Amino acid sequence: MENILRVENLTKRFGGLTAVDNVSMDVNVGEVIGLLGDNGAGKSTLIKMVSGVYMPDEGSIYFKGELANFSGPREARDSGIETIYQDLALAENLDIGSNIFLGREIVRKYLGGLIKTVDRTKMREESGKALERLNIRMPSLTQQVRNLSGGQRQAVAIARSIYWNAKLMIMDEPTAALGVSEQRKVLRLVKTMCDQGVPVIIISHNMQDVFAVSTRIIVMRRGKKVGERITSQTSPDEIVSLMVGADGVGEAMVDLDSAED
Amino acid sequence: MTVEEKMKASPRPDIEPVNKHDHSSTYTLIRKVWAWGFLTILIIFFSIASKQANNVDFISLRSVQGILTYATQILLIGLGETLIIIVAGIDLSAGWVLGFSAVISALVMQTLFASGASPFVVIPVGMLSGVAMTVLPGLVNGLLIGRAKVPSFIATLGMGGLIEGVALLVSGGYPIVKQPPYLGQIGNSSVIYYWPDHGITFFQYPVEAMSADIPNIQVILPTVVLVTVLVTVAVWFILAKTQFGQHLYAIGGNFEAAVRAGIPVKNTLLKVYILASVLAGIGGVIWAARFSSGAYNAGETTTLNSIAAVVIGGASLFGGEGTIVGTVVGALIIATIQYGLVLLGVVPFWQFVAVGIVVIMAVIVDQFGRTLGK
Repeated sequence: MENILRVENLTKRFGGLTAVDNVSMDVNVGEVIGLLGDNGAGKSTLIKMVSGVYMPDEGSIYFKGELANFSGPREARDSGIETIYQDLALAENLDIGSNIFLGREIVRKYLGGLIKTVDRTKMREESGKALERLNIRMPSLTQQVRNLSGGQRQAVAIARSIYWNAKLMIMDEPTAALGVSEQRKVLRLVKTMCDQGVPVIIISHNMQDVFAVSTRIIVMRRGKKVGERITSQTSPDEIVSLMVGADGVGEAMVDLDSAED
Repeated sequence: MTVEEKMKASPRPDIEPVNKHDHSSTYTLIRKVWAWGFLTILIIFFSIASKQANNVDFISLRSVQGILTYATQILLIGLGETLIIIVAGIDLSAGWVLGFSAVISALVMQTLFASGASPFVVIPVGMLSGVAMTVLPGLVNGLLIGRAKVPSFIATLGMGGLIEGVALLVSGGYPIVKQPPYLGQIGNSSVIYYWPDHGITFFQYPVEAMSADIPNIQVILPTVVLVTVLVTVAVWFILAKTQFGQHLYAIGGNFEAAVRAGIPVKNTLLKVYILASVLAGIGGVIWAARFSSGAYNAGETTTLNSIAAVVIGGASLFGGEGTIVGTVVGALIIATIQYGLVLLGVVPFWQFVAVGIVVIMAVIVDQFGRTLGK
């Protein structure tokens, strides 16, 4: 398996708090990694170091085999690490094509670049292709994103990342705000991406989602990586016990059950 | 419990929205159409009313041109206001910038003309300096709002007061008169002068026409209207066709997303406030030409009228929505109300009441549409 991301001994401190403590992990082509952990376990901080938002205090990140010292999220994205946050970063008042090309519009230049007009037809065509590649069907490409369902919005955000040559996709709670059938569609999309050679890291609280889609699960607790399992060789119970620590299993199970009601 | 069992055990309501499209297209349709409908109703109303009251035809070349001339000043500020409202901002300084530009250009022309320079030099120089000076308030607005994150409402309110004060200081509070002779002629000229049986001239009356002939000459398309149309087309092009225009909609639609997508948000905001200021500056120069003078309060009531025009035209004060065509219709509605009330001989103060009612109506239609859209 071709390695895409290697994280070695990453540590990040905020004042006295060690948010991420000596974490190492690998992501290879063909994998969907489920990153699990309770609130404050350090998942987000770890991901933000990978996506260039935070600079690690210690340790190193290798992307596509090379040492990566991202100066910011823009640089990480330019080299192929795409992060889709919960808010999706879509402009609801614009159509699908405009969102896929947000900030990177296809333009025609006149008067030596003084006047740049937006080529909407071209953008729509290209968007159609990008969506097709992921087997996403949309009622109409001229629709404002405002009129799309939650799952369709996710699809637009994903298609945008893929179009711009994502080599690694990081998704933060991709199914949090969706209904069941929409959740399944998004998870299918994650698998499609993975099949097309873009590995995915999914941060989620939703154990079902992670088990449905991931190939490997990494569990964090209090900033440390406390476990790593092949999904097919573990069970939700084992993962939960890793998340909360062995001593707190019974208690946490009660919490989980009540939280789901 | 296996995953499958868990999935069954905790069914979540399927919140996949079925078909929102029907409602929202109704909503878009209402927002698009109502202003045109309202303009039509206004014209019908004033036609009947002016016939009844004064036996005057409301639909005539004269009153159409009158309305268009009224609309120019509202529109010139309204164009910039549209762009700013699309980025979820507002410019309360525009009317004062218009007055400032009128004062500066009038002052430059007065001074140069008094020193004996030719009007053909004085007028262009005066006009250019008036417009050029308006880059400054726009620049400061853009810096305050884009970089220092001052809310546009506060920044432009402050700028409005500041620029009013500067215009007052410069002018001493008096209109700046003693302008070069051709200025008023240019400001009140029309493009076409048609004298039946004699022919057509452009931009001035036929030289051989006596004052007794003047009533027989058809005057078509005021020059200030032509200039405003050209400026409007340019701004329409910028908003609807260019990348800059696309970025305005993106910033208004989702500011955070625009930043993350790498759109140069700060520079775009800077440019849009400068552009709006310069458009108000053009309005000021036109005012100076029409009235052959410069007054600090030339645009005092225009700011609110033009914001009203933009809102009537379907822009959302929350940003992301608005078109130049909509603003043109909005400006025509307000100009029609103003002109129509004058024609009916109604006390001018009623204009404020009427425009206020129309703005509230526009907001109600917007709200009604939003409820439908949900």
